[in-house]
Amino acid sequence: MRIPTESAAVGTDTPLAELPALLLPAYGQTWAMVGIVMVLVISLGGAMGVALYNTDRHGLFPQARIHAVLSWVANMGRSLPFLVLMAAIIPFTKWVTGTTIGIAAAVVPMTLAGIPFFARLVQNALNDLPRENLAVGLVTGGSPTQVISTTQIREALPALASAITLNTISMIEYSAIAGTIGAGGIGYLAVTYGYQRFDMNVMLATIVVLILTVQIVQFLGDRIARALARP
Amino acid sequence: MIEIRDLHKHYDTAEGRISVLRGIDLQVPSRSITAVVGPSGAGKSTLSHCISLLEKPSNGQILVDGKDLSALSGKALRAERRAIGTIFQNSALLRRMTVAENIALPLRNLGVVHHQMQDRVAELLDRVGLADKANAYPGQLSGGQRQRVGIARALALRPRLLLSDESTSGLDPESTAQVLELLDSLRSDLGLAIILITHEMDVVRHVADQVAQLDHGRIAEYGQVRELVSSPVSQTGAKLLPLRPEPLPVGFDYELAVAYRQRNVDPTWLTRLAVEHNARVALLGGSVESHHEGTLGRVRLGVAGLDAAEVISLLDSWGLTATVRDGWEPAETERIEVAV
Ligand SMILES: Nc1ncnc2c1ncn2[C@@H]1O[C@H](COP(=O)(O)OP(=O)(O)OP(=O)(O)O)[C@@H](O)[C@H]1O
Ligand SMILES: [Mg+2]
Repeated sequence: MRIPTESAAVGTDTPLAELPALLLPAYGQTWAMVGIVMVLVISLGGAMGVALYNTDRHGLFPQARIHAVLSWVANMGRSLPFLVLMAAIIPFTKWVTGTTIGIAAAVVPMTLAGIPFFARLVQNALNDLPRENLAVGLVTGGSPTQVISTTQIREALPALASAITLNTISMIEYSAIAGTIGAGGIGYLAVTYGYQRFDMNVMLATIVVLILTVQIVQFLGDRIARALARP
Repeated sequence: MIEIRDLHKHYDTAEGRISVLRGIDLQVPSRSITAVVGPSGAGKSTLSHCISLLEKPSNGQILVDGKDLSALSGKALRAERRAIGTIFQNSALLRRMTVAENIALPLRNLGVVHHQMQDRVAELLDRVGLADKANAYPGQLSGGQRQRVGIARALALRPRLLLSDESTSGLDPESTAQVLELLDSLRSDLGLAIILITHEMDVVRHVADQVAQLDHGRIAEYGQVRELVSSPVSQTGAKLLPLRPEPLPVGFDYELAVAYRQRNVDPTWLTRLAVEHNARVALLGGSVESHHEGTLGRVRLGVAGLDAAEVISLLDSWGLTATVRDGWEPAETERIEVAV
């Protein structure tokens, strides 16, 4: 990747032939970030969503106090704009990863923003299930794990697939924002070339790539959700 | 034999304590269907949740073959609750599972090995007459078919008691009839004790042996369906076979409330009363129908030309119970408190 400098000619567009060499590694970095983040978000945010649902009144272990605490944490995590969150937790990020720039540094705030978001999506998906599912799980002799896996998660799979799609798209967007703190990826490219150097070709190329990526993710997500739905 | 002893359930809310069940005693013999009826809010569903061990009673016991299940929790509860099969309103099948998978759910939760599970599911599908629907999804079935799958699921672990809370409400008459026929055959074939919670009096009349009238958390009246229907003063009997008789016409001496007491009442009894005993008889209202234990009937007559005491003893000798009515409705205005 070429390192942009102040002395580089302002408005010099990267030739079209050189775009792939510039874009592909950045695109790979974007997916690396989103991929790592989504693995963490699905497992941790999913667990938080299941806990939110099951500590609520109609859940498996109604616990008003614990539910209120979880709910408060989930709201707090979603109340800050991502840019602010990212800046605010720099000391924490540094403590976890030892650095404040690059992919590792971007993964921390993205994960922290993604977990409460996904937790609420999971909670909503479970709330949309028929109320009797819990009773069905219990009277058929299900253990708590069996009740959660068969009557909740398995039944909510189409909605959960849509939730993962929505979350992935949000994370792609966040990865672009994280690009501004030197995280790499498509966002970094757009900022350094498009914004700082008025490189129209790179700017347009990143826009096209982002739009196509989101469209494809949404398309695949819809297909998967539909395949999981039953008549 | 299932026995419910002195069952209490209260909820503590912000407005104070709500006592929903206030001492329920009920015995459900094997091979019989006990209906629980009562107005909305009487506590029927709360009773159902306690019996299916979804809620812990505040007090009292639920004994299955002498063993109290109401105090159990955790693993012990999961092991013992298979004695009670629960059928839900609207069947409550899991939508992403096939019919076979839904029926297998209790077996899977218990960890039954695969081939045994398949055999049992095939047997159950046969039992409820849906062998051809094994791989269908609930969304592809009619309401009545879904309910039969729900019954098969409840039977999977060979329970002693089958509990149904409004399992036929919302079904069309034909599906209701199919479900009731199935329950009826399960009672005799499997020797099940069945508790049928319902607001549909037709359902009670057609399949139940006993009926308990729940009111304000207590059993207000309990008895054999036949006995209650053939009692001229039973409030539940009047609800089971309701009449809206004509008023007594001018020229008649008195009004009689008649109920079929014996199983095989001579169907020409009205003719005999008029022809052989020279009574003038006006039919004011009536309902006579066949029941799995013989004819059920309640009739209102206006009578002239024959002494009331004589008519009553005649009817009594024919297997009918009659009382003179004097303008008011004892059956509908008098509360009969059995359990206090
Ligand atoms: N969890 C609860 N907390 C407080 N009150 C409750 C609770 N569950 C039920 N009740 C109250 O108990 C009473 C009986 O309710 P229940 O659902 O058992 O009635 P029901 O006989 O099944 O009525 P319906 O015919 O309408 O289904 C109602 O007044 C209801 O408000
Ligand atoms: Mg109810």
